[in-house]
Amino acid sequence: MDFLQLGSYTFSSHLILGTGKFSSATVMLEAVRASGAQLVTVALRRFNRDQPADDLFSPLRAVPGITLMPNTSGASTAAEAVRAANIARELSGSPFIKVEIHPNPQHLMPDPIETFEACRILAKEGFLVMPYIAADPVLAKRLEEVGCASVMPLGSAIGSGQGLATVEMLNIIIRESNIPVIVDAGLRSPSEAALAMEMGCGAVLVNSAVAVSDNPPAMAEAFAEAVSAGRKAFKAGLMSKSSLAIATSPLTAFLGAKV
Amino acid sequence: MITIELNGKQQIVPPGSAVTDLLSIIGSDEKSVAIVVNDEIIRPDKRSAHRLLEGDRVEILIFAGGG
Amino acid sequence: MTSLPDWLTYNRDSATLAAMLDSSLSTSLESLATESRDLTLRRFGRTMTLYAPLYLSNFCSSGCAYCGFASDRKTPRRRLEPDELRRELSAMKQLGITDILLLTGERTHNADFDYLLRSVDIAAHEMQRISVESFPMSIKEYRALADSGCTAITIYQETYNRERYENLHRWGPKKDFIERLETPARALEGGMKTVGLGVLLGLSDPREDALNLYRHVRYLGRTYWRAGISVSFPRLRPQTGGYEPPFPVDDHSLARMIFAFRIALPDVELVLSTRESAAYRDGMAGLGITRMSIESRTTVGGYHDLDNNEKGQFDVFDDRSAQEFCNAMRAKNIEPVFKNWEPAYNGPADGNSTILHPVKLQPCL
Repeated sequence: MDFLQLGSYTFSSHLILGTGKFSSATVMLEAVRASGAQLVTVALRRFNRDQPADDLFSPLRAVPGITLMPNTSGASTAAEAVRAANIARELSGSPFIKVEIHPNPQHLMPDPIETFEACRILAKEGFLVMPYIAADPVLAKRLEEVGCASVMPLGSAIGSGQGLATVEMLNIIIRESNIPVIVDAGLRSPSEAALAMEMGCGAVLVNSAVAVSDNPPAMAEAFAEAVSAGRKAFKAGLMSKSSLAIATSPLTAFLGAKV
Repeated sequence: MITIELNGKQQIVPPGSAVTDLLSIIGSDEKSVAIVVNDEIIRPDKRSAHRLLEGDRVEILIFAGGG
Repeated sequence: MTSLPDWLTYNRDSATLAAMLDSSLSTSLESLATESRDLTLRRFGRTMTLYAPLYLSNFCSSGCAYCGFASDRKTPRRRLEPDELRRELSAMKQLGITDILLLTGERTHNADFDYLLRSVDIAAHEMQRISVESFPMSIKEYRALADSGCTAITIYQETYNRERYENLHRWGPKKDFIERLETPARALEGGMKTVGLGVLLGLSDPREDALNLYRHVRYLGRTYWRAGISVSFPRLRPQTGGYEPPFPVDDHSLARMIFAFRIALPDVELVLSTRESAAYRDGMAGLGITRMSIESRTTVGGYHDLDNNEKGQFDVFDDRSAQEFCNAMRAKNIEPVFKNWEPAYNGPADGNSTILHPVKLQPCL
């Protein structure tokens, strides 16, 4: 069996589902079930007595085989993220924390300096730290060194549906990493998720593409199948590409005829 | 009555109220919330014993949808 | 018997390299050459960095069956004393060489760590860049070498086939396969900026060795990600003792291996020494190789003591002068680079240390 290994946790599903932007909690829960995801992200929010239905904790708990991965969205500094992580762990009982620090609410790009500092502290405190980062190969290695359970580089901007715009950087990160690389953000179609898995990602995290579809449970299932296909292809080993370009005057003439 | 700050807004509670009393006042399911009083996390087993004081800053947090 | 490390047995991403090495498949040598040339040009430009070896000592305690300096050979043994080393360095500088590789045999009391350290210190005052190809050392010793101005360690596994390795290394400290295998990591742990890996082609199945060499490079690259890695392709040359390589590698196979490594490792320095002919080296320049030795003398004192006609560690094939070599490079529109390092950057690279930056090593994915 082929597992996603995060710290001491193993998951048979390589798809992580986000729970934002759904039209209702009911649809979200149907999508979670259809996706087969075993890790789902949630956000920490202030309780609002006028909208108690916002609370996703109890309904998600009722789905069998789900581990919650709270995020720190809303934090714009390392200190805020560390605080949010501790509150979230209190509530979820899960060691997973998705460190997400984006000071600019327009583009939601992660702050690498605050993220690094938060991860350093949280890893020491025993969290399974999953940082959302720009596709920066050096930052990815630095985060591995401070003990993150994975790195989650963005394929493209959150919610942009631009797919794997960072493919060159993602390839470097995957090649150099000793921890699972999880593409987070920007995926629009199942084929992009399959491609990420074929490249050697440990998992993909999808939210908007499922939530805003006309039929979220069906789209969740499509992503699950694509992720599974991509993963199988990666494990099976893709055929090598060969260059068809051949120089007009032979480059290897100096070798002479093969004896 | 004493006044506390709940999630950034003024809230009046009877003197000597515990955290659990506040939760029933606002109609919250106690299991699915995290409670922070003056930056300190109050664990479920401490909530009935933790008395609120005038001017306490209380945060009640839940999980909502997020990616 | 200690088992092999996971990174050597775990076949993570060597499939593409394996396919390129397979000459029976359709990937023609010419198409590999084209891709390799394009990558080399993009990443390294039209340049060739140059270095020369300096044999400090031919004392040796090991019995490597293929080596002219093995301890059972009748070769006269000597080491360069400080004055001789300075004369040797001076003769090399006259040739324009400032990037040198200091060599010794396996550790002996005649040429031990203190001797090597003193020699590095002397050389670092004269030259731009010092590399060392010597015996395996401790992390502490590597750190001391780095402090004295050595920036790179060359340490070949010779072959990754353990059984053949243990048979070929008939006696001496080099007999320990695992100890040898772990040495490059120790060098980087000790703060070396670059390690040079390689296999001695001819000793064992070249395809198996190439794949394991690649895995070694990848493992070190993932773990010591700040470090530089270079790969050499030495083919066995005639040497005293008359060892006949059981797995000779022909020109085409060597070319295929070089192209395949360039394509699989686009950023890694690939090295070709004067063990190869002038025609072969000229042909390879620009196609994948980015670093070459010049004016090599494989005897102790070979640069300043021109009357000595002892046998070296191996026979040099490309014996052109630096001038002749550079002319050949320029004729191919390639710039020979004599200085590619600034001693101001000498000193241990602390960022490499996994003690300072603990990395959990697990073959994930």
